[in-house]
Amino acid sequence: MTLDSKIPSGPLKDKWDKHRFEMKLINPANRRKYKILMVGTGLAGASAAASLAELGYNVETFTYNDSPRRAHSIAAQGGINAAKNYQNDGDSIWRLFYDTVKGGDFRSREANVYRLAQVSVDIIDQCVAQGVPFAREYGGLLDNRSFGGAQVSRTFYARGQTGQQLLLGAYSALVRQIGLGKVKSHVRKEMMDVVIINGTARGIVTRDLVTGKIESHWGDAVCLATGGYGNVFFLSTNAQACNVTAAYRAYKKGAFFANPCFTQIHPTCIPVSSDHQSKLTLMSESLRNDGRIWVPKKKGDKRPPNEIPEEERDYYLERKYPSFGNLAPRDISSRSAKEVCDEGRGVAATGYGVYLDFSEAIQRLGKKTIEERYGNLFEMYERITGVDPYKEPMQIYPASHYTMGGLWVDYNLQSTIPGLHVLGEANFSDHGANRLGASALMQGLADGYYVIPYTIAHFLASNKLEKVDENHPEFKKAEEEAKDKINKLMSIKGKRTPSSFHKELGKVMWDKVGMGRNAKGLKEAIEEIPKIREEFWKNLNVTGESNDLNIALEKANRVADFLEFAEVLAWDALEREESCGAHFREEYQYEDGEAKRDDEHFAHVAAWEYTGVGNKPIRHQEELVFENVKLAVRSYK
Amino acid sequence: MKLTLHIWRQKNAQSKGHFEKFQMNDVSEDMSFLEMLDLLNERLISEGKDAIAFDHDCREGICGACSLTINGTPHGPEAATTTCQLHMRKFKDGDTLYIEPFRSRAFPVIKDLIVDRSAFDRIMAAGGFVSVRTGQPQDANAIPISKEKADLAMDAAACIGCGACVASCPNGAAMLFVSAKISQFAMLPQGQPERKRRALNMVNQMDKEGFGACTNHYECEAVCPKKISVRFIAQMNRDYLKARILKEKD
Amino acid sequence: MALFDYLKSTLLSKVVMAVTGVILVLFLIGHCVGNMQVYIGQEVFNRYAHFLQGLGELLWIIRIVLFVCLVLHIITSIRLKWLNFQAKGQKYEVKNYVKAKLTGRTMIWTGVLVVAFLVYHLLHFTIGVIDADNFSKRNMEYYKGEVVIAEDKVLNGESNEIGKLERQAETIKVEGKELSKENDVVLFFRPDAYSMVVKSFRQPLYAISYIILVIFVGFHLSHAIQSAFQTLGLNHPKYNCFFRAVGPWLSTILVICYISIPITIWFGLVGGGV
Repeated sequence: MTLDSKIPSGPLKDKWDKHRFEMKLINPANRRKYKILMVGTGLAGASAAASLAELGYNVETFTYNDSPRRAHSIAAQGGINAAKNYQNDGDSIWRLFYDTVKGGDFRSREANVYRLAQVSVDIIDQCVAQGVPFAREYGGLLDNRSFGGAQVSRTFYARGQTGQQLLLGAYSALVRQIGLGKVKSHVRKEMMDVVIINGTARGIVTRDLVTGKIESHWGDAVCLATGGYGNVFFLSTNAQACNVTAAYRAYKKGAFFANPCFTQIHPTCIPVSSDHQSKLTLMSESLRNDGRIWVPKKKGDKRPPNEIPEEERDYYLERKYPSFGNLAPRDISSRSAKEVCDEGRGVAATGYGVYLDFSEAIQRLGKKTIEERYGNLFEMYERITGVDPYKEPMQIYPASHYTMGGLWVDYNLQSTIPGLHVLGEANFSDHGANRLGASALMQGLADGYYVIPYTIAHFLASNKLEKVDENHPEFKKAEEEAKDKINKLMSIKGKRTPSSFHKELGKVMWDKVGMGRNAKGLKEAIEEIPKIREEFWKNLNVTGESNDLNIALEKANRVADFLEFAEVLAWDALEREESCGAHFREEYQYEDGEAKRDDEHFAHVAAWEYTGVGNKPIRHQEELVFENVKLAVRSYK
Repeated sequence: MKLTLHIWRQKNAQSKGHFEKFQMNDVSEDMSFLEMLDLLNERLISEGKDAIAFDHDCREGICGACSLTINGTPHGPEAATTTCQLHMRKFKDGDTLYIEPFRSRAFPVIKDLIVDRSAFDRIMAAGGFVSVRTGQPQDANAIPISKEKADLAMDAAACIGCGACVASCPNGAAMLFVSAKISQFAMLPQGQPERKRRALNMVNQMDKEGFGACTNHYECEAVCPKKISVRFIAQMNRDYLKARILKEKD
Repeated sequence: MALFDYLKSTLLSKVVMAVTGVILVLFLIGHCVGNMQVYIGQEVFNRYAHFLQGLGELLWIIRIVLFVCLVLHIITSIRLKWLNFQAKGQKYEVKNYVKAKLTGRTMIWTGVLVVAFLVYHLLHFTIGVIDADNFSKRNMEYYKGEVVIAEDKVLNGESNEIGKLERQAETIKVEGKELSKENDVVLFFRPDAYSMVVKSFRQPLYAISYIILVIFVGFHLSHAIQSAFQTLGLNHPKYNCFFRAVGPWLSTILVICYISIPITIWFGLVGGGV
């Protein structure tokens, strides 16, 4: 099978306009005859559901949370990029496009990224019209700040809660449609499977998390906006319930999974304090503007930080990257932290942490200035760790944060299964091998507000869909499979809890498929993952009942998919024999430790096709064509 | 740390609940409150017992899912902190803790510590929005909004919809939640065209959901993890009264 | 009934509570100012009491307004209490209030006491059922003023009727009391409210029950006043120090003023001559 990205012809700047004109439309009176299923209600899902319902389609949304408003988009702190050039600092659609392609280390599609940069401008207008309270200057105009990987100030923000405000904006549009009866909202329902009839995605099967009921839902098109799979590492900045289940089950039904190895690690999180930890908390990267990162020079130095004299400290980022210093990009900063900790010089309870020290900045600028800049972050740090960062350096360590990989989609956001569309973090399309700060929100909303409403119409208008409903044998079959799966999980009656397997998997993934990867470790992981999976299906213990709200069962159901998906991720990491963006293969680096990209052999998207549990999936390639940007080596020295 | 926990167990909405006592002997003070419950759940599952159901998700204080009443205070003893960000070092060795769901008639218990807060979504659906369709609206900078107004709107918009205001209120009132949304839009030019309608519809829906009436204790403000101010309730009162007096029939 | 439609809305009910409450508080302030005249002396106090009695229709309008306010306040509070009780649902096993004060949480009970006090107070000093002896025997005191005798009515200077005229031989009586004539000025009489109050409060039962009940009124007001401001939408960070403080302060002042009367009477500082 060849992967047709369906990128429109013509000059980059005109592709989207041309495509919008060429796509088929559906007459307003006919739209109400169609029903679209939207799985996930985060930024992408909520914005898409609302926009489609406004157009007149019937929409049903599904979320495993108790309300659409709780999706994890809500936790994004920093901001949202848009090429408004309000600051007169030389920003433009082209520059945002270029920065995004470069930031993604030239592993994304030019056409997609350009479209993203184009619609970024409308997103801000739309959000302001919805009443999103972005930060403003005294003159009443919108404020901007700069963010990593860009030399212009193009990031719009609402305090440290931009994701929350944008999600609540999209949610408000969504609830408006729920109130008008155009959207039916299903909460506390988890997708179990995609149902394919005559080669087209025609519905889903869900489990009601309260009653345990397995239900079928038909639709004329299915959209997955189910987020990323960062929780495959067990500990991440993701929410507890974030999972790969919906995407992975679509993959098992024939959707290709693209670039799963592109997982972003965020350098400034609060380190693990002990093995009961459930979650890693992100501290804004802005802290690196004034904090100095160091570890003791001596291995295993257990002295309190304030007792370690200046000459016995190693400010390793300043030493290795004199020009960027503590502001080195995310991946470099993360890897360097891992290096020093692997050498045995790490701090924190587990030895996996480095100091982020503000004492020099406090001396230079005064405590008051530091308080103004980072007061709330310091407060949050103290709340979580019990340590006052004004007196003692913070401890930080990288953590899994975002996943650039996802289900493969074409320019219309349609997966390899016709009718199955994938939006937001769940797809792979726009960030290449690494995502720039403040671009995740932009992409989620771009897909939801401005791409899918056009491309769905085109899909519906171009395909004559037969009438189906929940009584179709394929639905019955999928329901049976889902019930079997649940029964199987319930009937093992072994000794170990679902979380213990998740932890075990996470450790393998973090150690061998995490920040620094090598062929040996990856191969070991590929051997170890099936063993954990085997043990899981033999020795899992799920208590409670299946026809009840059962948090152990929910967890087991999600871990089961992580246990299969992890292997795909490891395969992808093994076969991508280069270092690019967030994917760092230790074998492929320059002498100074810089990532060595291989454009000759790997300037492509790797899309994996399912071939059965435990079998190596088939790797397909979509070649990336760069007509508008020149491939260049990143350097931050 | 050793702790004695009395945790509310309730099979489902219909059944009568009861407290179950658990002895915890291995709590570390670096744990978050929910990690302590995770630990207990791991133990329960190992013992073949049904795990304690509680809502949680982001564990960084923003999704608003976590909803425990700890020793009679929603989200526990630390001010401006959600349950998920509450850490065990705030408790003492040997403490006895009562853990209950967010109680209110409008928030029926689903199981154990999980309650149904969908009433909030229905209130939002009644008017918690600006009626703009996705499209190409005017430029974002076309309407200047003073920084003070924008900041105040943001103060209101910071609400995470957890429902602690309702849970803490001696009257089970939802006014802090409803007023935060009404006020956010009331402060912004984008919210003006529907201002009266919104106030009327949201308040009416709030009443229909069976929430109580505010008697101005400000307990909600005291327990709110996002420190939403009761000044927004006053704002809602003004808007609603004005709307009742001046609004013509639709 | 359309009049009570407002009860369907929690916010309108609250507004009714606030507005009626404010009117009742204004009455309490006025009443207090009036009472304070007891410290000026018998003459002034009795003149004031007599003036109120002489308001005629106006007095009844005030009474009706206050009565309607009171009734609305009570009906609405019962309705809200029931609603709030319903809304609260199951009680917490352990409940720890962070900010809600006892005075606020016991409004309905202090409210009941306020009503009880009101009934008691009216029966005591207005209708005269309680301590009836003292009330009926209140001495009529003579004072100077012009009277006009028109047929069988005796009118005072402001043309208000002060009693029926009875002619018996050489004396002229009004309501059983004799009028005497000195030149053109007639000495006539009015009830001696001052003495009645003094005598009443000299009895410990009346004084102590009055003091205790007034303190409960104070509790009610200390929450009520700031609450009314908030309900009516008066909340602004710049002025909240006033809105929040005025309740406790005003109620404390009112309580002190009210209870000072029985206390000063008790200690003989007031009414020594009675």
